[in-house]
This record gives sequence, structure tokens and C-alpha cells, in this order.
Amino acid sequence: MQYSFIKPRAKHLVSPEFKLLFFFFSITLGMLFASYSFLKIKTLVYEVTIEQKIEKGETLKESIASMHEEIAFIKLQRRHAEGIYTENTVLKESIHNLFDLVPEKITLSQALLKEDELVLYGITPSKEVYEFLLQAPLRSIFHRSYTSYYAMPNGWYSFVSKNYLDRQTQ
Amino acid sequence: MKFRISRQMVYILSLAVVFLILVFVFAFAFLIPNGKAYRMARLDTKKISYQVDMIQNEYDKVYEELKTLQTDNRHVVTAYKSIFNPTRFKKMYEPHFKSFTLSELRTHSQDGEFAVYEVNTSSLIESPQGFYDFLDGVNKSDNIIGVNFPINFKREANLIKSSFTMHVYIASQDKKASSKE
Repeated sequence: MQYSFIKPRAKHLVSPEFKLLFFFFSITLGMLFASYSFLKIKTLVYEVTIEQKIEKGETLKESIASMHEEIAFIKLQRRHAEGIYTENTVLKESIHNLFDLVPEKITLSQALLKEDELVLYGITPSKEVYEFLLQAPLRSIFHRSYTSYYAMPNGWYSFVSKNYLDRQTQ
Repeated sequence: MKFRISRQMVYILSLAVVFLILVFVFAFAFLIPNGKAYRMARLDTKKISYQVDMIQNEYDKVYEELKTLQTDNRHVVTAYKSIFNPTRFKKMYEPHFKSFTLSELRTHSQDGEFAVYEVNTSSLIESPQGFYDFLDGVNKSDNIIGVNFPINFKREANLIKSSFTMHVYIASQDKKASSKE
């Protein structure tokens, strides 16, 4: 026996319209959270990168400062060494020039070289020979020059020549 | 004309409005501030990356300069670090002399960043040329050595007895930091 004129319909807890609505809401919420998570993670990644870069920058700056010190020290060493090498070369040239200055007629027995002083001991056939051939050039180099002669039995003279350079005071 | 809205439509509209409000609240409370922070972080990263790149470039330049200097001055740098070895020195320079003796090395003074040690020498040479060759050789030795006054040359028969002082310079490592251009 039939009690209704229409056929019974299946009843749902949630209607298809609501289902569709919830589906769109879920998609929207998902996109919102995805965007939020993306921004949050990327920001964190950037912050970590910034920290690492700052640390790297500091380390590099320290290394640069240390290398600058090393460069300065090497330059200082080079200048110092060049100074010493030059002094040695100048010394060699000075001694060379001194020995070249002594004429064949005069024989040196001792030469004492100090910073501002030169003492020569030797023998000369005559005072004139010494004065013309050695004392004259020595006088042109040194500020003060003193010579003592001692007569020898063979008629030659032994001499002691002391020559001084006066330090320039400014 | 009568406009009828079903009960279901009212529910749907109410939910949509609530959802819209929630979306706006979420956007203004979280998304926009996070977006700003992200943009700032990205800009900062770019700025700092540029600065670090500049520092890196300077580092590379200074490193290159240092390496070139170290290569060009290898002998000087090594010489300042070398400990003076009298036996080796004597062996190297003995050929220039008839006889060559060195006194014991002793501390002399401090020349700026360098410790100065003094050694006295006495030697016999046949001619001054031996001494000139020695002075040329000293400039190429394993140490930084300066020949100093007083220098005494004295005739002894056919030979010349020479005596002089040498200063050996050694770099003090702890002084490195204080060295300035």
C-alpha cells in the first residue's frame, strides 16, 4: 500500500551545495597556509643566510687586516734588508776606493776604519810623496786630517795618518 | 514581486561571510606582516651579499698582493727567520779567506722589529779582493748580515789580517703586529 504520491529521496547529512562550498573553502585555506608557510620558511632561510654572510664578512675582514699587517711587515723587512745590503755594498766600494787611493810608492801596514774615522799606518819614501799622493785626496774626503812622521834608518818615513769626518748636526 | 531565499541559501551565505572575515583577518594578521618580513629579508640578503662580495673581492686582491710579495721576497723573509749557524756560515765563506774565525754570537740590541746579534770575526786574506768577494757573498747569505765598523786591516808578512764585526738581524714574530707602513 502506497502512502505518498512521490518517490522517497535519499537524505544526506550534508547537501551537495555545502560539499562544494567546503571544497572551495578548503582549497582557499590550503592556499593561504601554503603562502604563509612559504613566506615563513623563506624568511627563515634568508635570516640564516644573512647571519652566515655577516659571519663570513667578519672573518674576511679579520683576514684582510691580518694580511695587511703581514704585507706591511714583509715590506718593512724588504726595506730593512735593502738598507743593509746597500750599506754592505757601500762599505765594499769605500774600502775599494780607499785602497785604490794608496799610490804604489806608499806602503800601508795597517788601516783602521771606524764610523767617522780612518787611521792609516804605513811607510813613505818622503813626506812630499805622502803629502802629494795620499794626504791631498784624503783631505778632500775628510774634514780633519792629521799626520805624524817618524824617520826610519833607511831615510824613509813611517807615518800615522788620522782622518776624521765631522758629523753634520741639524 | 516576492523574493524568497531558502534556509539553505541563508546558511551558505552566512558561512561565506564568516569565511571571508576569517580570510581577511588571517591575511592582515599573518600574511601581510610575513610578506613584509620576507621582502625585507630578501632585500637585506641582497645588500649583505653585495657587501660580502665586495669584501671577498678586496680579500682576493690583498691575498694576491701578499702571495706576490711573499714570492718576490722569499729570500728576505726566510733570511729574517733563519737562526744564524756559525759552522755553516764559516763553511760557506771560508774559501774567501786564508783563515776565518768567528766569535760566539751574542745579543747586541733591538733595531725596531728586529733583534740584532753580534759576532766578531778575524781572518787572514791574501788581497782585499777576498774581502770584497766576502761582502758580495754576505748579501746572498741565509741570514740578513751587516758588516760593521770598526774594520781593521793589518799587514802580517804577505797576508792581511782583517777583523770586523757583523750584525745578524732576526725578525721578532711578536713584533709583527706593531709594524705599520
